[in-house]
Amino acid sequence: MARRGQQAPTADAAHAPDRFAIDVTGLHEVFRVYTERPPGLKERLYRFRRARYHEFHALNGVDLQVRHGETVALIGPNGSGKSTLLKCIAGILPADAGEVAVHGRIATLLELGAGFHEELSGRENIYLNGAILGLSRAEIAAAFDDIVDFAGVREFIDAPVRNYSSGMYVRLGFAIAVHVDPDILLVDEVLSVGDQTFQEKSLAQMRSFSQKGKTVVLVSHDLGAVRSLCERTLVLHHGEIAFDGPTDDAIEAYQQLLATGELPAAGVVEEGRTGDLRARITGVRVEVAGTGGTGRGGQPSPVGPVAAGSTARVDVEVTPQADLIGQGGLSVGINVRRPDVQPSVYETRTSWRASYVAPPPQGTPLTVTFDLDLGLLTGAYLIDVMVANAETNVLHERWTSAVELAVEGPTHDAGIATLDARVRIDNPDGVWPPESHPPPLDEGGPRYHPVRDGSDEPEGARDAR
Amino acid sequence: MAALPARLGDWRQARELLRNLVAKELKVRYKHSALGFAWSLLTPLLMTAIFTVVFATFLRIPVDRFAAFFLAGYLIWQFFANSVNASVGAIVSNGSLIRKVYFPREVIPLSLVLSQAVHLLLALAVTAPLFYVLRGNFLPFVPALLVGLVLLVAFTAGMSMLFAAVNVSFRDLQELTQVMFMAWFYGTPIIYPRYLVDDAVADAEGWLMTVLPWIQRIVEANPMTWFVQLFQRPLYGVPAHPEVGAAPPTWPDATTFLVCAAWAVGTLTFGWWLFRRRAVTFAKEV
Repeated sequence: MARRGQQAPTADAAHAPDRFAIDVTGLHEVFRVYTERPPGLKERLYRFRRARYHEFHALNGVDLQVRHGETVALIGPNGSGKSTLLKCIAGILPADAGEVAVHGRIATLLELGAGFHEELSGRENIYLNGAILGLSRAEIAAAFDDIVDFAGVREFIDAPVRNYSSGMYVRLGFAIAVHVDPDILLVDEVLSVGDQTFQEKSLAQMRSFSQKGKTVVLVSHDLGAVRSLCERTLVLHHGEIAFDGPTDDAIEAYQQLLATGELPAAGVVEEGRTGDLRARITGVRVEVAGTGGTGRGGQPSPVGPVAAGSTARVDVEVTPQADLIGQGGLSVGINVRRPDVQPSVYETRTSWRASYVAPPPQGTPLTVTFDLDLGLLTGAYLIDVMVANAETNVLHERWTSAVELAVEGPTHDAGIATLDARVRIDNPDGVWPPESHPPPLDEGGPRYHPVRDGSDEPEGARDAR
Repeated sequence: MAALPARLGDWRQARELLRNLVAKELKVRYKHSALGFAWSLLTPLLMTAIFTVVFATFLRIPVDRFAAFFLAGYLIWQFFANSVNASVGAIVSNGSLIRKVYFPREVIPLSLVLSQAVHLLLALAVTAPLFYVLRGNFLPFVPALLVGLVLLVAFTAGMSMLFAAVNVSFRDLQELTQVMFMAWFYGTPIIYPRYLVDDAVADAEGWLMTVLPWIQRIVEANPMTWFVQLFQRPLYGVPAHPEVGAAPPTWPDATTFLVCAAWAVGTLTFGWWLFRRRAVTFAKEV
């Protein structure tokens, strides 16, 4: 379904490796915003009175190249042009200047159930909506059962969608759209529909798209989903691409954009380190009391394993690279997270604790020490370190995954934090601890027990009960 | 599909979508009415009854077998008017779809025209015995009806696309269409035979002598005049005064056929061209 571009490319060429799946150059998109009502008879008759409008530049010279098989996210504040860009790629909106070339069959998930007809049954709507999305009758018939099961609407499939709950409605829309089996999938903010289970199913579906080598462009405000799906993320701001790079850095830049209205001045210095670098993190040191685990920022191997419940001391050394005196205090922070869990486990900053940290003179290091109780369970933990201006929130430097910490906790618990349950069971005749004498299986005893089945019999265990 | 040129794939997709949309139109239209499809037949029959009472009995329009005469023209008119009236606001009212999904926009007006064509075919099939009884055997001229149907659908599709496209930037058209079609209906020889206009011109006196020839030219230039004629000849015959008696069903003459073919090709070409040109920015305007 590659349609546009100056020359209509043939599908043979669509997968040529030297071609981008999506190639956007110098794209401008201008909307006329009428200050009065839309042009009608009166305006046409009184030609001298020009219709009043101003031009809104939704996209201001956007360049975007996406390779085949890449999964890319577009994030940005409301009105930054994300959806407009997606619509231009989809061919819904024409380019006012610049070029959009797409190589491969496109499917768009811009609005779920767009084109559903209320009076038609779920079955009829699957065929209608499938056709709108570009599927042939045979393709829909082949995917029909999958669609119905994915949406979980089997028992209502012959009822008019008018009677569907809003959840069923969007689930059906999503199920149809993801079964289009495109080369390129454009998704606009539709992953957050449905309940928890359905969201997980949707995310899994997206992931399997990427794994199958499909190209996915995703617009979302759900940064967790963006993080888990995309390696590359673009930040749009006022119709321009403000950042294009690894997702973690992009999200950092975006969050700063939201907080301060400005983007970081400088980009990425090295892997995992971003900011304007007017103050730098010149050292990170971790020492865990008792277990002897120590480490430095940037070392490849994790610190530890250290025992759960021990105390870690994290020293963060920051050094101003410019004269920051008189520009407000510094805020030094740490963020402990698990690579596999959103959101973070623990985060704090000096500025959140209302302590003023005066910036030292240029080149003079300053050390902030965090003593942490590691009330954690078994797993790998990453520590991010950051330094920012405490008043403007402008990020000087963030060092993502500066240190990795391996924690070993008790094996009878699972999760992140140890809440250390004290367990009581209100049934004295039904509980058989390891040192007790349980009856045989047919009298209500456990299937297996070390005492009854021949292990060492603890002395006087039965009497103690 | 991977080996097909992109344009062909696009076309296949559009055809599939068109079929689905026509099916939707047909299903949805009478979903909640007890009589369902019967309405597409009842409406012209009831209209014929009313018009026959008023125009044949009270006003005494001098034409043989008024009911059959009127029905032949009115079925054609109803198809044309319903198609264009449904299409004119269709792009605007489907705005949410157009802003969210890419598909060839033509399918919206075309699906409306084709679903109306299905109604027309049904109506023709059901009223056929009536024509047979009142006007005689038209079966030999069915090929003329089929060719006429193709030309009429092409003409109507062109008009529908034209109206739908223009209405996007000029919304007043939607309101104007009502009045315009009222005038157009009376400007088409459906409730009166065309020879009445010629008679009036011949009998004209005073200021009417300057006005009536103009009206005659308008009726002559009106494409629907020719399309109605194209169907009237094989279904009804050649209209004539009741005392003379109308000639039985016959082939439409070559002029009628050529005029209709020219209008069909011209309107479809222009309407489609304009629609395509305007469709690029529909998503911005609706």
